[in-house]
This record gives sequence, structure tokens and C-alpha cells, in this order.
Amino acid sequence: MRIGWTGLSAFLATMAIVWAATITSEGQAPAAGRAQGAAPQTAAPAGARQTPAQPRPAAAAQGARTEDGKPNLNGIWQAINTANWDIEAHHAEAGPHNDIMGAWGSEPAGMGIVEGGAIPYKPEALKKKQDNFKNRMLVKITNDPHRFDTGDPELECFRPGVPRANYMPFPFQIFQNKDQILMVYEYKGAMRTVFMDKHQDAPVDSWMGWSNGRWEGDTLVIDVTGFNGHQWLDRAGNFLSDTAHVVERWTPRGRAHMMYEATIEDPATFTRPWKISFPVYRRLEPNIQLLEFNCVPFVEEMIYTPLGLYNPPNRSSR
Amino acid sequence: MRMWNRMLWVTTALTGAMVVALSMAVLLAQAPSGGKKALPQTTTSTDAAIKASEDAFKKSLELKNYTVPKKPWGEPDLSGVWLTATYTRLQRPQELGDKEFYTEAEAIAEYKKAAESDAEVDPRTVHYDWKEYAMDAWQGGATPNLRTSLIVDPKNGRLPPLTPEAQQRRAAAAAAAKQQDPMLGVKTFGNLYTRCVLGLGALPLVRGGMPGADSAAAAAGVTAEAFFFQSPGYVTIVMQSNNDVRIIPTDNRPHVQSQVRQWLGDSRGHWEGNTLVVESTNFNDPKPATHFLGATDSLSIVERFTRVGPNTMRYQYTVTDPKTWTRPWSVDTTMPRVDPSMIYEFACHEQNYGLINVVTGTQIRYREGTRDLRGNGAPE
Repeated sequence: MRIGWTGLSAFLATMAIVWAATITSEGQAPAAGRAQGAAPQTAAPAGARQTPAQPRPAAAAQGARTEDGKPNLNGIWQAINTANWDIEAHHAEAGPHNDIMGAWGSEPAGMGIVEGGAIPYKPEALKKKQDNFKNRMLVKITNDPHRFDTGDPELECFRPGVPRANYMPFPFQIFQNKDQILMVYEYKGAMRTVFMDKHQDAPVDSWMGWSNGRWEGDTLVIDVTGFNGHQWLDRAGNFLSDTAHVVERWTPRGRAHMMYEATIEDPATFTRPWKISFPVYRRLEPNIQLLEFNCVPFVEEMIYTPLGLYNPPNRSSR
Repeated sequence: MRMWNRMLWVTTALTGAMVVALSMAVLLAQAPSGGKKALPQTTTSTDAAIKASEDAFKKSLELKNYTVPKKPWGEPDLSGVWLTATYTRLQRPQELGDKEFYTEAEAIAEYKKAAESDAEVDPRTVHYDWKEYAMDAWQGGATPNLRTSLIVDPKNGRLPPLTPEAQQRRAAAAAAAKQQDPMLGVKTFGNLYTRCVLGLGALPLVRGGMPGADSAAAAAGVTAEAFFFQSPGYVTIVMQSNNDVRIIPTDNRPHVQSQVRQWLGDSRGHWEGNTLVVESTNFNDPKPATHFLGATDSLSIVERFTRVGPNTMRYQYTVTDPKTWTRPWSVDTTMPRVDPSMIYEFACHEQNYGLINVVTGTQIRYREGTRDLRGNGAPE
């Protein structure tokens, strides 16, 4: 994952800037956008599937606005920051197990995504955050909910929750309709549905929360509640409880990037609401698509070996 | 809380009937985070559900001149939640020979027989409250079917013969099972579903009802829902089971390069009139498990989705795997629509308590000499 991370980020950022510069006029012209809506596919004779020389991603073929005049967020996006290691400002560090992982396993520096200084933890919550950091690689899988008391959920291939899913070093895809917006994250294939039409309270607690969305002008505002309390915000042990309430604001700035902002309120953990913000960039490679990152098989040896349950017939098999 | 109760049930069962625990563990390993009702009036009454299914079936038969609604950007509207559970068997029973269709009365009688047998509860095997939504297929809205089997090609409604290579593979797997280390492990189950690697039937979606379903959970019809989300240029299918996601671009782009291999392959779609045609290739080698019915990484599946009524999706698929079958084979069936049009989070791996219990229990029983090495051993 971390191979070429810096290089990839720089490439993406450059591409995004170049693209943004070339399409600014389109991004500000809703009428033109509507006219460029994806044309319906016409019937093709069986077996006559053509492969165009230049693949034409559907998202790129669409305009800046959807049929109902909203900003068109359809496409594949990715944050370019190191918040998944630590949402607060941090310098580079050797990673755990640098005896074998070397530079691969080291942790990149970053300016952080928290607005206005320190995260306003309550004293006992700050203690838990510090304990979390110490225990971040503790894996102690049990057959009851105590399995969630240990290390970073990401290490064990658990769902990342919101907002963390949005700044993990993986792309995610937005599928937009008038009534619902589907967000699919490459990490674990985690998904969430944003209900634009029928708002309701979360019927059950979950990792990714329950998302009710609405448009405020050109900003997509998503109210996320119903968390199960197992969410970590990064590998540094920052966390949310099950009283968390996250309000996300997604504001397009042209076709190639949008600003993301989340207000985090969690009375069990923090003394006041606080904010994170960062840009997300459109992935512009012509052949971009989400690939599988089904990490369950990648963690089975780690989590089941201590229980004496991991014993493949052929260790070379996947 | 409900999840916790389910776990206690299995723990109890492990100290008692191990056979039961093993078969039910498949269900336990994957339990949805929420529940919903397709047929609110019928979820606890078998008779009412059978009646409702008959009515739905008859209504779907009457729709000869249905015009599919269109999305604003012009594509046929396939969106919604479609039920993948069925009581129709994948392969036609031998005694039916070349009889491809039931009469309407026969179809309803077959459905009734299957639903009633599905609803029978042996108190020794109850881990779930079977009155919960869709623990049995009749609760989720599975409907009768005129077809006597899902398979329509070959004409006898049965899987074509295995290739010599596949026969050898099967024999070798059976021999290896006997040679395994006595400490049965997570992977020696070879069951992707129990391990929460994959959910139920993401590809192909409909696999045939009992008897002969490929897992206990498929037979029960639990969480057998596929959520179709449509946006310009894409049809995305999210399975209720394990929340497996298939993103299908419909813009004629080529497949990813052949060295990229995935659990659900790589899907490409295009429209032929009102039919969405999806071709999936680039499957991985899931050893020691296999793909559908023992298929390998040379599998390719072509699916055809056609909405033939407001609440009926025709679903056809053709399976090709030259390493497994001597010829391609094809299925033609339907999926009823379920409301509301949403699915719940399905955090399977996160709370896979069942796997720990089941593997531990199997190891204990093996050491006691009361179990063989394979558990229930059903291939995924």
C-alpha cells in the first residue's frame, strides 16, 4: 500500500490541477453540463460488442450537473493526505516492526486535517486515546463483543466508519441519484447509502452509520448518526463513541476536486463539536475503476493463529 | 443484542449436536445488521405467504405487454431490491425427464410443498426465530415458477458432464481431505461464506432452491437480496449478504488486464434493447475453496437482466469454464422485487463469532473421534 505513496499523491495532485484548469468553464456552466448528459446506449446486435480504441469512462462523459440540476458528483475520488495515520499534525516515524518492514512500514508526516488546534477530548477520553495508541496493534479476537476492545479496526479488516473512510489511502466511488446516493469505498468494499428522499433515524447501529442527505445550494450535506461506537479515526488511536454525530459537507470546486468538511459532535468523548476538512480529488485516469480490496483473507492468519484455528492445508495457497 | 443471543444459541448447540451446529453455523457466520419485511402481512404465516406468492405469480404471468420505465438518461429502470431466493432446483429431477414446464397448478403445488417443508421447524435445530424476516424463502417473497429447473441448456435441465481435469481435481480434493492435519483450521473449511470472504451468491445471483442448494443458507433463502443501484453509465449491485458490491460499467470499456484477478471477477455491461448484458471474467483462484459448483479461475459468466414486469426481473445466465464442464450451460429464471428499496449494513467478518465456535467445536469432535475431517464439507 505504501509503495510509491508520495509519488502517487504528487501525480494525482498534478493531474487534478491540470484538469481543473482546463475545465473551469465547464464546471461553471450548468446548462452545458446538462446538454452533455450521458447518451443512452442503443440496442447492439448480440455478440457485436465493440471495444473503442479510447475507453470513455461514463463519469467523464457527463456534465457538471445532473438531470435535476444538482452538482454531478458521479465518479471516483480520493483524498491525498496522511490523516489515516494521524488526523492531527505529525512528523514521520518509524512504523511498528521496522526491524523487518523498514521504510515500507514507516509512517508519513502530515499537516493534519483538524481545524483549530487540539481535539477537545474529555480527560478520560484523552486517556483512552493514548491507550488506544499503545494498543493499536493488539489483536485479541474473541467470540463476543470484547473483540472490539483491542487495536485499530483497520488492522483487522473491519469497516472504517465515517468520516475515516473518506481519507483512507484508497479511492472511493460516488453513484448519484435524485433519491439516493451510493458511496462505495475500495477499502473492504465498504458501502453506505445516503438517503436524500426519506430521512429517518438509524434503525440499527452500524459501523458506517446511517446517512441522511440534503442539498444546501451546491453543497451536499450528510447527517450521519447510528454509529456502533467501535470507530477509530486513524491509526493513532483517535476515536468516536456510539453517541457520535457527524455532519459532512461536500462542496464541489470545479470538476476535479471538492472540499470535504465534517463537524464531529460526540458528547461522551469531546467537550465541544470540532471540525476536520480536506480536499478530495477526482481520479482522472481514463481506465480508473475500483478494484477489490477484500482484506478478510489477508488478516485470517493474524487473527486466528493465536486461537489455534488457522491451519491451511497448503500454506502457499491464498 | 439479537446477535448476542444467536451466538449463545450456537455455543449451546456445540456442546450438543455437532452436526446441527455445523450446518447452522453457515447461517450464523453471516447475519445481517438489520431486518426488513417484504410481505409484512405474511412473514409469520406460511399459508398467507403461499397465498401471496401465488397471487404475485399469477400477476406476473398476466403481464405480456409491459413497458419498462426509463431512467431520466434513457436506460431501462432496473433499480430496486430483487430477491434471489427460489424453490426451483438448479437441476431438473431425473424423473421429470425432458419436461421443461409445469402447468400453473403444478407450479403452485410444487411451491406449496417446498414452502411447507421449509417452514417445518425441528426444535433441536432452531438457532434463529424462524418467524424473523426471510429466514425461510417463503417469508421473503419467493414465488412459484413454471420451470422445472433453473437450467434450460442442456435440454435435460442438468449440468453437463465434468471434464476429465475436473474429475481428477475432485478426486484429489477428496483424497486430500482424508490426509489433512487433524487440527482442522479456518481455511480447511474451504467455505468462503463461513469465513465472510464472500456472501451468498453474488455471482451468479440465483443458484437454485432446495433440495440440492449449495449451502444451508441458500436453501433457507436468508438475506437473499440484491440491491440494484442505477446511475448514468453504471449499474451497481450490492448484495444484502456480506454487502458484496459489483460495480458494472456499461460504457463498453475493455476488461482489466488478465493478471488482475478478483473474487467477483471483473464485470462489464452493455444494453441490448431493454436487456442489460453483463460479462464477468478475471476470477481469482480461491483455493482451497472453489467458485460456484467447483468452477476455477477460467470461469466466465454472461448474465442478462430484463425487467418484464413492475415486480419481476427475468434473469438469464450462461456459465463457461473449460477446466470444469465439457460445455457451457445456461439458466433462465426470474427474481421478484422486494420493498423497500434499500439494504442494511452487513458487517460479517467484524462479528464472525460463528467461525471461532464452529472450528473449535470441530477440532474437539475430531479429537474425540466423532467427526470426520471435513465438517459438512459442502463446496461453496
